[in-house]
Amino acid sequence: MGLDYKLVFWNKHKRIYDKWIAIAMVLYLAIFFVLSFVTNPEMIAETIIIRAFGSLAIVMLHIILAIGPLTRINSRFMPLLYNRRHLGVSMFLATLIHGVFATIQFHVLGNVNPIYSIFTSNMDYGSLTNFPFQVLGFLALLILFAMASTSHDFFLHNLSTKIWKRLHMMVYLAYALVIMHVFLGTFQQEMSLFTIGMLLIGFVTICTLHLMAAFKESKTDSFIAIQEDGWLEVCHPNEIEESRAKIFTVENERVAIFKNKGKLSAIHNVCKHQGGPLGEGKIVDGCITCPWHGYQYLAHNGQSPPPFTEKVKTYELKVMNDMVYINPEAFAEGSEVTPISC
Amino acid sequence: MQIIISIFLAVLAIYFGIGLVFGLYFVFVGAVKIDPLLKESKRRVRILVFPGIIATWPFLVGKLFKSKKL
Repeated sequence: MGLDYKLVFWNKHKRIYDKWIAIAMVLYLAIFFVLSFVTNPEMIAETIIIRAFGSLAIVMLHIILAIGPLTRINSRFMPLLYNRRHLGVSMFLATLIHGVFATIQFHVLGNVNPIYSIFTSNMDYGSLTNFPFQVLGFLALLILFAMASTSHDFFLHNLSTKIWKRLHMMVYLAYALVIMHVFLGTFQQEMSLFTIGMLLIGFVTICTLHLMAAFKESKTDSFIAIQEDGWLEVCHPNEIEESRAKIFTVENERVAIFKNKGKLSAIHNVCKHQGGPLGEGKIVDGCITCPWHGYQYLAHNGQSPPPFTEKVKTYELKVMNDMVYINPEAFAEGSEVTPISC
Repeated sequence: MQIIISIFLAVLAIYFGIGLVFGLYFVFVGAVKIDPLLKESKRRVRILVFPGIIATWPFLVGKLFKSKKL
């Protein structure tokens, strides 16, 4: 949170994380170069660069796609999610280098526009096996450009969270294009069982993680509270840890019930910044703190502490017969609700 | 097929061309009208967000029109 935009939001942890990203990237490239020179000495440097950066980008894309479901399966992965933006931009840079070198090597020396050449050097669009794979890579690069160039809080504020999220969900389309690009490229140029095998393992891993996360979340969503005069019985007060929350689905909306100094408050579970799960965060300095990017809200009114202006819906609670009940009718965003003792 | 490719690439070029022109206006004039936070930010932030403005200009044009501060 801030009163101006930072060029790059760095803190101590993010600097350490970014150093590790840089070290891992350099290490990967160095190993790839050495192995390529040793195993295939006649390969020219440009080809090695194209393959090194292309394969690096795919590895990074798989890691990026795995982070989301991993954090939903186990909250210990949350620090990775908190730093995912820089990993995404680094992945785009690796993809861009791959794309630029491939265009220079295969399309610049002709007498047609290089971009036009990408689309027309192979016109076998009706073929399944000989489809022009470079076009798929170009389209994936366009999507990744749109995502990387809007990976800044300025765009979250000005495109709206909804549009920004939709834009960034296009990573799955980019992933599909990349998978087809690599598969067809490998198939058409030199059949490598290693590359196809690794691609398959990566794809199955990503699908499995997403299914596991969806299964875990479906348990929360399928929770059916017991009704009592319009109030819903949700849990025993002791089920909620101090300074933490439990998440429930009420009227198709996820609600986080927090315990702060022994008192309970309920707010809408979705952070206004990037839609992070507030109920998976904790209370820091008296404020509910989003686990994704540290946006904060006051438990009793769902408002970010001044001078910030973010607000979420609040809910009324009561404790009866040693059970917590919630009124499913939400109050307007930022409405004051007195926390209840339990 | 070549006609479809030519049309697609022409549309792409026009999209990014308009984005470039709008981006220059938006980053120096338009953005601060709808986002006071940018006014308080360093100039380098505007350079950083420039490519993103080129990529998403239709949404930002819409926002400028809605704010009636064009």
